[in-house]
Amino acid sequence: MSKFNDRVFGLIMLVIAVAYYYGATRFPVPFGGSEAVGPETFPKLLAVILAICSLYMIVKPDPDNHWPVARTFGELGIAVVTLVVYALLLEPLGFIVSTTLAVGTLCWRMGARPIKAYLTGLISGVVVFVLFTYGLELPLPLGLLEMN
Amino acid sequence: METLHYLSLGFGVALQPENLMFALMGCFIGTLIGALPGLGPANGVAILIPLAFTLGLKPETALIMLTAVYAGAMYGGRISSILLNIPGDEPAMMTCLDGYPMARQGKAAEALAISAIASFMGSLIATIGLILLAPLLARFALTFGPAEYFALFVLAFATLGGITGKNPMKTLMAAAIGLIIATVGIDLSTGTQRYTFGVLELYEGVDFIIAIVGLFAVSELLFFIEEKAGAGREMIKVNPLKLKWREILSIMPTTVRGGILGFIAGVLPGAGASLGSFITYTLEKKIVGKKGYFGEGDPRGVAAPESGNNGASSGALVPMLTLGVPGSGTTAVLLAMLVSLNITPGPLMFTQNADLVWGVIAALLVGNFMLLLLNIPLVGVFVKILSVPPMYLLPIVTMVAFVGIYSISHSTFDLYFMIAFGVAGYILRKLEIPLVPVILGLLLGPEMEKNLRHAMQISDGDWSILWGSGLSIGLWLVAIIGLVLPVVVGPILRRRMQAAKEKVG
Repeated sequence: MSKFNDRVFGLIMLVIAVAYYYGATRFPVPFGGSEAVGPETFPKLLAVILAICSLYMIVKPDPDNHWPVARTFGELGIAVVTLVVYALLLEPLGFIVSTTLAVGTLCWRMGARPIKAYLTGLISGVVVFVLFTYGLELPLPLGLLEMN
Repeated sequence: METLHYLSLGFGVALQPENLMFALMGCFIGTLIGALPGLGPANGVAILIPLAFTLGLKPETALIMLTAVYAGAMYGGRISSILLNIPGDEPAMMTCLDGYPMARQGKAAEALAISAIASFMGSLIATIGLILLAPLLARFALTFGPAEYFALFVLAFATLGGITGKNPMKTLMAAAIGLIIATVGIDLSTGTQRYTFGVLELYEGVDFIIAIVGLFAVSELLFFIEEKAGAGREMIKVNPLKLKWREILSIMPTTVRGGILGFIAGVLPGAGASLGSFITYTLEKKIVGKKGYFGEGDPRGVAAPESGNNGASSGALVPMLTLGVPGSGTTAVLLAMLVSLNITPGPLMFTQNADLVWGVIAALLVGNFMLLLLNIPLVGVFVKILSVPPMYLLPIVTMVAFVGIYSISHSTFDLYFMIAFGVAGYILRKLEIPLVPVILGLLLGPEMEKNLRHAMQISDGDWSILWGSGLSIGLWLVAIIGLVLPVVVGPILRRRMQAAKEKVG
């Protein structure tokens, strides 16, 4: 069992703690002079706690969990990219089209047949769209389907 | 007497047709959320918060709905425990032990009915406990000053990992991460910009609802993908129900014991529903002794943990409502709802928002009856939905989360943020850093800092005020015990729970 993860994460957090502390020292003095507890006190306190925890993780790391193999990693990457693209295209393409694509892709990558997957996406997109736009009167973007 | 007066006021709120309707809806959705593996109560409630917002519900209606969801989720968890041998949520783990064997013996319907009755009894007892205890605790909490509150927040973080928590340092680290994220934005009392890096979207700080939904919903999706659990598992068919009154009566003592014990476990910091159901199961096994056939489908083995975890979930509302300090992930999410409705949780809520608090408590009672009615005749509906494989379900749930977040502000920036939190949540979970303290840190951060400042202003910069009163020393002591105890007792308890889990296999 390697204990690599905790050490690396601890190190990253330690760097963040130091940067965060440094950031707190750079706050401008608030208008009306400084007080006993200014905007920087609480962050400084937190930075110290985070640093202690990080050091502990570096010194006494827990055994690693299994990280997924490369292929699964690819799948995870696809899922995250799908979500980002979904957010990106939500307004330009409109809710129904982008949902069909995003939910469809996710279902498909999780093991559903492509046709069934995209059909699920389409149906769920239409249902939620109708529910929101007419039922709850919260319009979602129509995008491509908008008729002028 | 006073309590009765308030309670009748609460019923006045809870029985309004609109509130009744949303309570019923909440119960239904909650049972579903609980039943679906991979959609825990905290996750489910988190996704619903933005929706409750965009619906423009009144505070009490929104809170009643979400409390109903919370209560329903505890009912629902048992369904997949019994039929699939997978707990729908963590506290339902112990229900697998006897529920699944019962189902395999062709008594699935009986197991479901018994567990529904046990859930009802557990909730009922604990809600009564809540009604009796909460006003007392709230009155006591009124004596708290800022220093005591600061100590109380520390206590909440220290005990959040629970006695069964693995590594208290990681709990602490998670809390620190949450608190650090909470400091981003414009400082409320001085107007200083902190860690905004000039990004306009960060001026108002990180919206904790986005963080919660990302941490729970998106990371859950990623976990399912990793485990390739998309296809779901085979389910046991439900037989027609044949349950005699005698059988129901025979589990009553079990449910009463379970409900009381569960309630205590729920109220105490650091115990929680999982431990509640574990303790009740173990105790019941000891009491019944050799006459029972626990682990092979004893109805009492189903009733005990179910009454225990429902009791604990109502009990967990006590510290959340009276002190504003939640003891579990789901109550933390409920607290998020309160905070975003601009209601300051804590003892003052019992006087300033009496109709809201008591409305919610009354709704718990009403909802409990609804849930019993929903769960016995309508159990078939839930079973149907449960058979939808996760590969369709999780993408749709994620989409609903997207819509919810998007509809709050109509900004895609929030969506990117949510995805980022999802990825972060995945990594944290991989490193076994618990997510609940992160969320609690995000939520309580501003309040904690405010109390620290007040305390310091009172003492004129003298830090010793933080442990200046007997009460605050007591709170600090409990906090320290909360951090040390898991190291001492934790391994033993964890090993026992693990052994129980392996038996489920």
